[in-house]
Amino acid sequence: MKNVIIGQYIPGSSFFYHIDPRTKIIAVVVLMVATFLLETIWQVLIGFGIALILIIAGRVPIRKIVKGLKPLYVLLLFTLVFQIAFNRVGTIVLDATMQISPFSILFMIAATIIWRLLASFKKFSLLLFFAYLVGLFFIMKNLAFSPLWTTWQLTIYDQGLIMSGFVIIRLLIIITLSTVLTLTTKPTELTQGLESLLRPLKAIGLNSEDFALIISISLRYIPTILDEANKIMNAQASRGADFAEGRLKDKVVQVISLLVPMFIIAFKRSEELADAMESRNFVPGKPRTRIHDLKFNYRDLITTVITVLCLAGSILVKVL
Amino acid sequence: MGIQFKEVSFQYPGWGKQFFEALKDISLTINDKDEFIALVGETGSGKSTLAQHMNALIFPTSGTVEINGVPITAKRNKKIKYNSIRQQIGLVFQFPEYQLFEETVEKDIMFGPKNFRVPEEEAREMAKKALNMVGLSDKYLTRNPFNLSGGEKKRVSIAGILAMNPKILILDEPTSGLDPAGKKLLMNLFKSIQKETGKTIIIITHDMDLVYEYTNRVLVLNEGMLEFDGTPDYLFHRHDIDKWHLDYPATISVLRAINDKFHYNLDIYQKTIDAAVSTIAKAVQS
Repeated sequence: MKNVIIGQYIPGSSFFYHIDPRTKIIAVVVLMVATFLLETIWQVLIGFGIALILIIAGRVPIRKIVKGLKPLYVLLLFTLVFQIAFNRVGTIVLDATMQISPFSILFMIAATIIWRLLASFKKFSLLLFFAYLVGLFFIMKNLAFSPLWTTWQLTIYDQGLIMSGFVIIRLLIIITLSTVLTLTTKPTELTQGLESLLRPLKAIGLNSEDFALIISISLRYIPTILDEANKIMNAQASRGADFAEGRLKDKVVQVISLLVPMFIIAFKRSEELADAMESRNFVPGKPRTRIHDLKFNYRDLITTVITVLCLAGSILVKVL
Repeated sequence: MGIQFKEVSFQYPGWGKQFFEALKDISLTINDKDEFIALVGETGSGKSTLAQHMNALIFPTSGTVEINGVPITAKRNKKIKYNSIRQQIGLVFQFPEYQLFEETVEKDIMFGPKNFRVPEEEAREMAKKALNMVGLSDKYLTRNPFNLSGGEKKRVSIAGILAMNPKILILDEPTSGLDPAGKKLLMNLFKSIQKETGKTIIIITHDMDLVYEYTNRVLVLNEGMLEFDGTPDYLFHRHDIDKWHLDYPATISVLRAINDKFHYNLDIYQKTIDAAVSTIAKAVQS
């Protein structure tokens, strides 16, 4: 639990790190809108190229961005499968008869076992998965022998492939943009930027300062609470609570044995924090100064210009 | 049996490739009978880390900890029942808030035994016995643990571990945050538990008075290294213990100051205040 890093921020000093967080937030939002205006696969490919150039220019480690994509593998895969399976527009690329027989099922089980055995090579997990899919396809197409149980048709249309490419690349651009934002902006800067941007909402009753305070306090206390959870887990483990195994009935009691002290300590902490803030004359809603004031500089100007150009470009290709 | 440390080192993972070395090459043996051990050292010297090794809550980075014949190494072994080790070696954490969670004291103390599959009735009996052992009467059984005073909470949390009937009892700073009377009460309690049951008791503490008065063995940790392992008498006869950031007990300091100031030749090594007072009284009368 000690290895959990809050936020994705990695220290650095390239161009992106010195842009005002407000500029960055707005630029990312505008670029996302621009991405959604694009309509053909060539346009999103160009967009993706621009995003890549920006990443390389900003010296953001691509490995980190790929890591950020991990939770979305499933989503990307679903998009791919659905588009390929259900899109019935355009010309046929592939039309194959798939056969299922006892033999092919045996082969498929064997392929699955091999795939799971090789899964320890985590680096190539995606590659392995595709190899597995291709293997399944090959087995169903060619290795049926008799007796046949059923057959089904796999038809893939070119528009299906193109559309899936389009959707996936668009998703990739958006994720890349937001990852660059979180990688190069400290959580505190991010909340400060948000606070500043949400300030006009005071007219409708949303106090952005309170909002920013809540976010920054929560961020500040995540490591503390994790540390505390660790201690509670150890304390209960030394009383025989076995979090790894055990029956379901016991598990419920064990989870309660974690949650109750957790809540009590969290409440106590928040009360203490409130007292400590009040004893230093904190009054909610009063105007206050900051150590680091947000300032615009030439980098913000460059960013704004590039962002506006991108947006204008995508509007242009949509209209023309 | 007991606990054997064999060249144990432990590193806390840090940022990137940096590590914090909490324990360095520690070898020691702890019997599971008739020992009253104090584990001392300044904050951050690795005391709690060492204690958590003793019931397999954390695993050594290198070396072996042998707990009642079961070797614990860096790698988790699926054949070892770590849970049963934790039943044999009871570890009481510093803050009772981290473990109290049930509605009544009785239920809370029963949590440990029930985790080790002790039947309900027997667990209830054990809870009662453990509660009496820490000097609280039966009427506390139905109280809510969150409405108790700090000292009472502490005693209930100790009872929660005692109820599992461990062979060795480890207490992480059991006397911190207690008033002097509460401290004395707890220490006398540990002493009587140790005498009655013959269990080995290990306490982590910063209070040298308690170390000198109650324990019969001291382990000194400094920057993750085991610097001293011997009797408190031998430790406080040394003149260089401040290099490990330790103090002398009040009795020794006071008597030494009197000797220096008035050129007496008193025996400064008195374990209790009473003994020190009578030494001074004798000197004054003669």
